[in-house]
Amino acid sequence: MAGDPVTYFRATDPFPLESADFTKLHEFYARLAAGRLSTTRCTDCGRTDWPPRGFCPECAGDAFEWVDLPAEGTVHAFTTQDTGLPAGFEGPRVFAIVKVGAHRVFSILLDADPARVSIGQRVRLKPLAVAADPKGNPRWLPAFTPSA
Amino acid sequence: MRKVALVGAGISKFGVRRASYRDLIWEAGKACFDSVAGIKPRDVEGLVVGSVMPERTAFQSHISSMAAEALGIKPSVLSARTEHMCASGTVGIRYAYAFIAAGLADLVMVLGVEKLNQPSSDEAILNMGTGVDREWEAAFGLTAPPCFALAAQRHMAEYGTTEEQLGLVGVKNHTHASKNPNAHFGKGATLEQVLGSRMIASPLRLFMCSPITDGAAAVIVASEERARALTDRPVWIRGTGQALDGFQLTSLHEDYAHWPALKRAADAAYTMAGVRPGDVDLAEVHDCFAIAEMIAYEELGFCKKGEAGAFVAAGRSDYGGDVVVNPRGGLIGCGHPLGATGVAQAAEVFVQLRGQAGPRQVADATIGLTHNNSGMGEHVVMIYGSEPA
Repeated sequence: MAGDPVTYFRATDPFPLESADFTKLHEFYARLAAGRLSTTRCTDCGRTDWPPRGFCPECAGDAFEWVDLPAEGTVHAFTTQDTGLPAGFEGPRVFAIVKVGAHRVFSILLDADPARVSIGQRVRLKPLAVAADPKGNPRWLPAFTPSA
Repeated sequence: MRKVALVGAGISKFGVRRASYRDLIWEAGKACFDSVAGIKPRDVEGLVVGSVMPERTAFQSHISSMAAEALGIKPSVLSARTEHMCASGTVGIRYAYAFIAAGLADLVMVLGVEKLNQPSSDEAILNMGTGVDREWEAAFGLTAPPCFALAAQRHMAEYGTTEEQLGLVGVKNHTHASKNPNAHFGKGATLEQVLGSRMIASPLRLFMCSPITDGAAAVIVASEERARALTDRPVWIRGTGQALDGFQLTSLHEDYAHWPALKRAADAAYTMAGVRPGDVDLAEVHDCFAIAEMIAYEELGFCKKGEAGAFVAAGRSDYGGDVVVNPRGGLIGCGHPLGATGVAQAAEVFVQLRGQAGPRQVADATIGLTHNNSGMGEHVVMIYGSEPA
C-alpha cells in the first residue's frame, strides 16, 4: 500500500452525507443550497418539527410536505468556545440556539463579534459551504449571521 | 424481586495512561477480583461492559466478548455491552441489577472502560463529537463544553450564581481527588488557580471541566444469597431511576438551568429506595462541568432550586456539611473515562459504605447515591445502602 493515494476515510469526516444516495433528507439540503431553511410538515396532523423527521412523532404518519421556515430569527441562547474545539474547527466559535418561528434551531453565528452577541438579537440564515463529500458533491450547513 | 448487592469493586489508575484498552480492562478486573475473597473469574456468570467509543479509539468492537476473554470470564447467562455515552457504566449496572433481581443471574461483573487519549489530542477531541447529534450539532463543531456553558449562563442570569461559586466546585473536587491515588489529578487547586485557568467555553474554565482521561472500573453484583455467603458487608442496591427529556439541545427544556429528567430519575430512585434526600450521606454526582454538580444539588433535592451557589459556598456539599458530594474527586478531579465513570462512582460508594475509603472516608456513611448523565436531558440515579431497602 505504501505510496498509494490514501483513501478518504469517512471516520474523520465531521459533516453529514447530504446527497440522495445517503439520506432521505437530501431535499432539505438542496433547498438550503438555494438559500432556504425548510423542514417537514406532517400532512396528516399538521405538526411541523425541527429538525426534519422521517415520520411524525405525534401521529406516526409519514406523509410529509416541505415547508420554508422564516429566514430570520432571534438568539435564544449562545456561548463562545475559545479552545478545545474538535480538529478542523477554530475558536472563538459562537454557538447559538436561534428561535426561528416556533422552533429552536442549533447553529453557529458567522461574522459575529462574540463580545457583541446578545440574547434576542436578530440573525438571518447564511448557508455555510463546508467540504464536499467524498464523491465531490457540495455540502451546506444551516448557519446564521447577525441581521444588518 | 430479589435483593441485589455489590460484593466487590476495583478501579484502574485514571489519567493520561501509558496503557492499551486491554491493559485498562486487566487493571480494573484484577483490582475487582482482589477486593473479594472467594470469587475467581470462572465463578462469574455474566459480564456487562460499559464502553462508548472503542471503535474509534482502539479500532475494536465486539467488546463484551473481548473483555470476557481478557478477564477469564466465560459468561453463561449474560454477556452484553452498554453504550449510553457518559452514562454507559451506570446503565450497565442497571442491566446486571435487573437480571439478578429477576432471578436470571446470581453473579455478574459490570466493567466500564475507555481509552480516550490518542497520539494526537486533536483526534481525541474530534471523537468526543460523536456524543452529540452528528448531523444537527457535531457538524458545527459542537462537543460538550458549550452545552453546559449554556446551562451555566442561564443559572447565573436566573439565580445570581457567580463564577466564584462555580470555581468552588472545582476547588472542592480537585481537593478531594488529592486524597485519591487513582485520580487523574492529585495536586488539589486553589480558588485563584481555578479562576485563573484558561477559558474553555464561557463561563467554564479549565479547572471547572473534566479532562480527557483513560481508565476502567469494575464491580461484582450478586444476589442476596450469594452476597451474604461472600461478604459480611454487602452494599445493597436500594433504588434506581432513569429518565430522558431529549437528545438534541433543541429538544430539552427551554431553560437549560432546569433538568426535569434528573428530578424524575431521582424521585423514582428515592421512592424505590425508601429514602429522602436528607438521608444521603455521600453522593457521587456527574460533575462533567462544575455547573452540572450545582444543578444536581437542586434536582436531587439537596437544596432548593436556585440555591446551589450558596450551598457549595457554605460548605454544605463537603465534609462536615449536609452531604459529601464527590468524595473521590468527581469527574473534575478523577477524570472522565466515559464508560468507566458510572462504575467508578459505584466503586466509591462501595468502599465508603464499607468504611474502607481511608483518608477520604465519609464518617458513618450508610446511604450513598450515584448520578450519571449523558447530556443535560438524560440522567440515571442509583441509591445504595449498607442495609437493604
